[in-house]
Amino acid sequence: MMRSLRNISALAALMIFVMTAFIPEIVFSQTARVLVPAGSFHSILPEVEGEPIVVDSFYMDETAVTNEEFLDFLKANPEWRRSEIPPIFTNNGYLKEWKSDMEPGYEKLGENRPVTRVSWYAANAYCADRDGRLPTLNEWEYSAQLLEFNTEAEMNKFSSGLINWYSGIDVNNLAEVGSTGIETTTGVKDQFGLVMEWVEDFKPIIADELSLDCGTVGRMNTLGSVYSYAASIRYITRMSFNAKITTGMVGFRCAYDEPAPSSQNQNGVSL
Amino acid sequence: MKSAILKITLMVGMVLFGMSSMLMAQTEEYTLDGMTFGMPEAEVYTEDYTGSPVVGEYVTQLPNLAPLDYEGNKHHEVRIDIIVQEIEVAEGVRYQAWTFGGTVPGPVLHVKEGDRITFVMKNRSDEEVTITEPNKGGSPFMNQVAENPYQKNSSAIMPMPHSMDFHAGTVAKDDKWRTIGPGETIKFDWVANYAGSYIYHCGTPSVLMHTAMGQHGMVVVSPKDGYPTDYEVDREYVVVQSEYYLTKGAGDLYTYDYEAASNNNPSHVVFNGHQTVLHDQPLKANAGERVRLHFSNNGPSGTSSFHVIGAIFDRVWLEGHPFNEMRGMQTVLLGASNSATIDFIVPEEGKYILVDHEFVDAEKGATGTLKAGPRKK
Ligand SMILES: [Cu+2]
Repeated sequence: MMRSLRNISALAALMIFVMTAFIPEIVFSQTARVLVPAGSFHSILPEVEGEPIVVDSFYMDETAVTNEEFLDFLKANPEWRRSEIPPIFTNNGYLKEWKSDMEPGYEKLGENRPVTRVSWYAANAYCADRDGRLPTLNEWEYSAQLLEFNTEAEMNKFSSGLINWYSGIDVNNLAEVGSTGIETTTGVKDQFGLVMEWVEDFKPIIADELSLDCGTVGRMNTLGSVYSYAASIRYITRMSFNAKITTGMVGFRCAYDEPAPSSQNQNGVSL
Repeated sequence: MKSAILKITLMVGMVLFGMSSMLMAQTEEYTLDGMTFGMPEAEVYTEDYTGSPVVGEYVTQLPNLAPLDYEGNKHHEVRIDIIVQEIEVAEGVRYQAWTFGGTVPGPVLHVKEGDRITFVMKNRSDEEVTITEPNKGGSPFMNQVAENPYQKNSSAIMPMPHSMDFHAGTVAKDDKWRTIGPGETIKFDWVANYAGSYIYHCGTPSVLMHTAMGQHGMVVVSPKDGYPTDYEVDREYVVVQSEYYLTKGAGDLYTYDYEAASNNNPSHVVFNGHQTVLHDQPLKANAGERVRLHFSNNGPSGTSSFHVIGAIFDRVWLEGHPFNEMRGMQTVLLGASNSATIDFIVPEEGKYILVDHEFVDAEKGATGTLKAGPRKK
């Protein structure tokens, strides 16, 4: 795990160097898209064959979608407003904390905090509207483990902190996006420490065969590391959701096959 | 364009999640050795329920046990919802507990051998639920907690998938003990086929984490023909031992300590969920009385060498089963999820200390007091 982490991060560092040298400066108007270069990682799902899992390069939002961004989406897409959304797409907790359809109530929720209490369907529609999609489970997980640690002890400390965080995410006091200081080597921020995130296939087919019981965490801990223990809690939690669930600890970000079109890089212009 | 997005979203959703497998359930009821097996398939659904999180006449707060005031068997309807509560587990130590019903351990359910229970549980971990105000339609537990909120509960939110595993039930766990997400409700039947005291706990992985976060409690199944000393018992209490693995968090609250939990190194080992509650609110008896304790070691990981200083256990029924009778025991050794029903005679006026004789646990809090008054008879 450590070795592959190091290799990948070295590769990623090189890629970033190449990017910054040859690609014109990215203007951060909307959420910036970050290139996540192709690579591979070890899934913790014991039934997954053909390890390690290869992931093609893709782009992903640097940070999670905020309340303000989601409000923008609702302006243009009235059918996803709280009073309009068809019940097949959500349970009744959808945007529950918002003051009204078009009023998040920023004094309580903050414009730059991640939007939560959105169903998988709504997250999906948002990303489709942005010409993107939700990241796949493997893309998200691959990106998430592109963290750089100097020692194994450091990684274990980070990972046990992560497990503790999963036990008590403070959903009433979420921080702003980009503020956790947790950033992958490719520049994706807050995959940990802010909220959990929807992925496209959060309940992979294999989930049905996995018998969730007291041995599941052990069976998933194939890497024998604290990181994979933390990951198993994340996988299990995510798998137990259904697509209509809306909770205060689940937000999302989008993935894309293409870099942001140049028109999207102009200040104040959005599609 | 917009409705196209709607359609595609729905279709993708159907493909990905619509086909999740339907469990084949055993629905044919049958009897074997006078016991009932083969419960109908559990139902999982969503409901708008916002009422009392604990419902049922025979559900109480520790150390109380509801008297069984009925003849023969009964069909119980019991609700114990999953809610998150910030609670105090020792002076100055508070954390956001994952709970059944709002306390750690959860409420005590008392039934009789052969009773049938229709159990309902809503995962309200994403909803603020107050349990310290008197409420209508709730169980005795709700009123007892409102009168004596010794864990100083306040409502909190931590949405997580959870499940219920009653050790007192004999069913297929992939049906009845299914994990449900926040906002979902599960309903299933079980029959208390065996007499004894049984723990219940969340079985969602990490089970270590979910149980240590507070999701456990106790069911007392009284034998249909009783214990031989029933007519002599003057006091009856329920005591549960369990561990917390907590570390100081960023703010005022404590959080789960993964390292401590995986190293079997609890921060607190307690009776009835709080380090000092059984000293602050001692169990009461008088000299010459026979006291019965239903004692359970809910773990999640430790053992308990339970002893009462100054007393000898007159009778011990291991696991609470009337056939498992032992006599004259100084200490009862209980692994994680073992229990015993214990009778002892209070010899004279004074203080008797309940203790886990594994002293490392005692010094982390596993002690309590029984305060005895003068002989009355
Ligand atoms: Cu649980």
